[in-house]
Amino acid sequence: MRVGWLLSSSLVVVTGACGPVIDRAAFSARRDSLEKGDLLGPFDGIALDAETDRPLSGAVVAASWAFERGEGLTGPAGAHEIVTETGADGRYRVPALTNLPTGGAVRVRRFTLIVYQKGYVAWRSDRRFPDGGARRDFAQRGNRVRLEKWRTGLHHHRHVLFLGGGQAVRAAASWELLPASLELSGGGVASGGVAADKAPVATTAGASPLDIATLLSDEELKGVTGYAGAFDLAKLLDLPTTEFYDSRHFKARGKPESFDTGLRVWRLGPVGAEAQYRKLLAELPGAKPADEIGDASLRARSGDVLGLAYLIRERGVVVSVSCGVQQCTDPEMILRIAKLVESRLAELPALPATPAEDKP
Amino acid sequence: MVVAPVVALALLLAGPARAYDFSTTHAGLTEQALLSSSLHRVMSQRFGKAMGLLESLALNSRTLQPDTRRTLWQRFEALDPAGGYRPGNDGAATALAWVVAGSVLAGTPPERARNHFFDPRTRRGLDDGPGLSGLSHALGLVLVGESSVRSLAAGTAFDLTGSSAWQWLFAAENDLGVPAFTSHMERAVAAPDPAERESALVQGLLALGGILAVLQDAGEPAHVRNDFRGSYLGGRAVDPPGSAFDRFVMARYGREAIPRPDKPISRPTLAGFFSARDGEGLADRTQRRFFSAGTLPADPIVDRQTSTKDVVGAARASLVQRRPTVGRLDLQEMGRKQYMLLEGRKTLAYVRVPGRVRFSLDQAVYEDAARALLPEVAAYCAGLVDHMFRASLAIVVANGTAAVTVENVAGAIAGGALRIYAEDARGLRQEISLPSAGAAAIAGGTQTVVDVPPGTRRIAAILSGDVAGDPVIAIGEAVVPPR
Repeated sequence: MRVGWLLSSSLVVVTGACGPVIDRAAFSARRDSLEKGDLLGPFDGIALDAETDRPLSGAVVAASWAFERGEGLTGPAGAHEIVTETGADGRYRVPALTNLPTGGAVRVRRFTLIVYQKGYVAWRSDRRFPDGGARRDFAQRGNRVRLEKWRTGLHHHRHVLFLGGGQAVRAAASWELLPASLELSGGGVASGGVAADKAPVATTAGASPLDIATLLSDEELKGVTGYAGAFDLAKLLDLPTTEFYDSRHFKARGKPESFDTGLRVWRLGPVGAEAQYRKLLAELPGAKPADEIGDASLRARSGDVLGLAYLIRERGVVVSVSCGVQQCTDPEMILRIAKLVESRLAELPALPATPAEDKP
Repeated sequence: MVVAPVVALALLLAGPARAYDFSTTHAGLTEQALLSSSLHRVMSQRFGKAMGLLESLALNSRTLQPDTRRTLWQRFEALDPAGGYRPGNDGAATALAWVVAGSVLAGTPPERARNHFFDPRTRRGLDDGPGLSGLSHALGLVLVGESSVRSLAAGTAFDLTGSSAWQWLFAAENDLGVPAFTSHMERAVAAPDPAERESALVQGLLALGGILAVLQDAGEPAHVRNDFRGSYLGGRAVDPPGSAFDRFVMARYGREAIPRPDKPISRPTLAGFFSARDGEGLADRTQRRFFSAGTLPADPIVDRQTSTKDVVGAARASLVQRRPTVGRLDLQEMGRKQYMLLEGRKTLAYVRVPGRVRFSLDQAVYEDAARALLPEVAAYCAGLVDHMFRASLAIVVANGTAAVTVENVAGAIAGGALRIYAEDARGLRQEISLPSAGAAAIAGGTQTVVDVPPGTRRIAAILSGDVAGDPVIAIGEAVVPPR
């Protein structure tokens, strides 16, 4: 055993001068092969929808190598990351690591591949979600990344932690931070254009969905804007109604979108509402603070659509009004609509109590 | 040639080693601890960070001293992006990621981890005893390029010794210790400029992660049994780096599968999380319940004259640490591996071979040890986070005044003064002078009322000090209603 150590350590001395020690890969060279892969790469594969087996284009692919150093005590000593996207055919290719670390006792310890597409469960080459179990089917070449659609019952906060990743991956998944934060606060929210994720702690058994029908009628809208035509009333389709969110779409019959008006209300409690307001401020096109209504408000504009959103801290409510420029012909009109809605907010039932509020 | 034997000896001793793997195990333990702690609520309610643990916070380089900035970024660049805790090029990451990064940075550079050992019986750190072996090890590190002749000459090369973990938490050279945590958190409230406050908060969270990493190693048997040599230098040449137990935990759980604790474990003092007279500190519990590879009983001799009682007695007499002791053994069958159970866990493997009983730790022992230890370590860490933020300042703003009340603290906070700040629309803070500023200890329930200056958007307050020698920091924030 000691002779082995001597040889091993001598090897470190020798290789320390030439380059790093490369650890053995934990994955196979190909899917159908028992041959061990090469930690340095190159890597290639395809991302598929697990349900349909169709290729997924535009998925973020982040490949990273982790280096460590140390002979007495070891620790992180650097990393190299390559970020790419799957092509139209769902395929990705990661070139081999050539920029090897230098220095005595440095090792290339790990290679990790992360594939992320909004609306799907993230895929890591080392672990599975949600059980965290070790993944055994990753292969260096011809890898198949089968992405499963996000489903009710999964938790965004656990997913965000599982995902990890560098700046690019985190940016792609940044939309998950708000629902994840709400889960941690004990409130849930449906978000991101995918099925609502209702954490067990987040929803109150038997709670009713939020209903904002009483906050603004089509006749009141016409009274503010002077519009003479008719509206078809519906929900805005990008987010489903939950106990925390509801919407109304006043669709001007036979007219373009610039005649439409939209109303969204989030009832999230003080912390969640503050976060949602800040998210709107950060993400709505051209959003600027305006301080016209509520505890904080903003104005935004995207093409022919004006936007106004405001926060009512005490109620934990955020309201967003959008109005086409041919409906709200004067910028004051959208403010009057917003104030009309504000005057009715007391009619909304309070946010249901959640178990997390009792948390010490 | 005198050098040759020294070199050979040094190479023989220069085995690779680590504590719990920093990139995976430490990171995962910190993540689970944070999810179980109250930090999400603390961040949103006391620091005004609406998204709590998932609020994005930026470390603004212009607010740092050049040396600090350079050193920090060198260490950030050592982190694996796959872990999710390496800040982006813009210096931003979530609050949770910053704490986790602090836990990983506690082992970056790796020499820092020499100070993560703590024997609760002696209250000492890593100590290889008298002799030249530590020097030989340090020499070996120079030879493999891991250390320099200069560090050897300066006495800073790793010679198998280190500060005790408890001392390290308060050491001036530890930028991720308790003093760093306290001073950064104070600036996170008191600094006039919002960017400076946010950077200070980031540094405070990094320090919190560093403190957690030290506590986590009190849940690693070798670290509380003064066992570097047996656990870390006893591997085979073909083994990858790390002790066998730490490698097992890393492979089995990674970062992502570390179990979440049922609930945080509370202790009366910070020291009590490590070691206390009641024996319920994490180091106390780990030391008396788990063996490590280098502190196993010696293999006792078995012959026709030897009874099982003799074997147990000899095994017990050979123990370096009193507990766990050797219990009942079944030595009837030759060659069959059996296990000594403790708390229903496989604690020690043994097998009777001709003339001897051989003791060892194997995968089954590691499996049971990890299953028992990891949730407990995370629970202690969650409790420590809650303990650090146990006190709070409740602020009620009404009728042009702000009433600040010290809450959730048993005893009086000494060694610090209450400071209250008014924040304007630009986010700039200015201290409000108090009616009666003094050095007297402030008890829980004490209320201080100040006038809110015109144009104030937010009131913030901080009180840091200690309660009977135990550090405490109380923080509070409140929005001033606009109308």
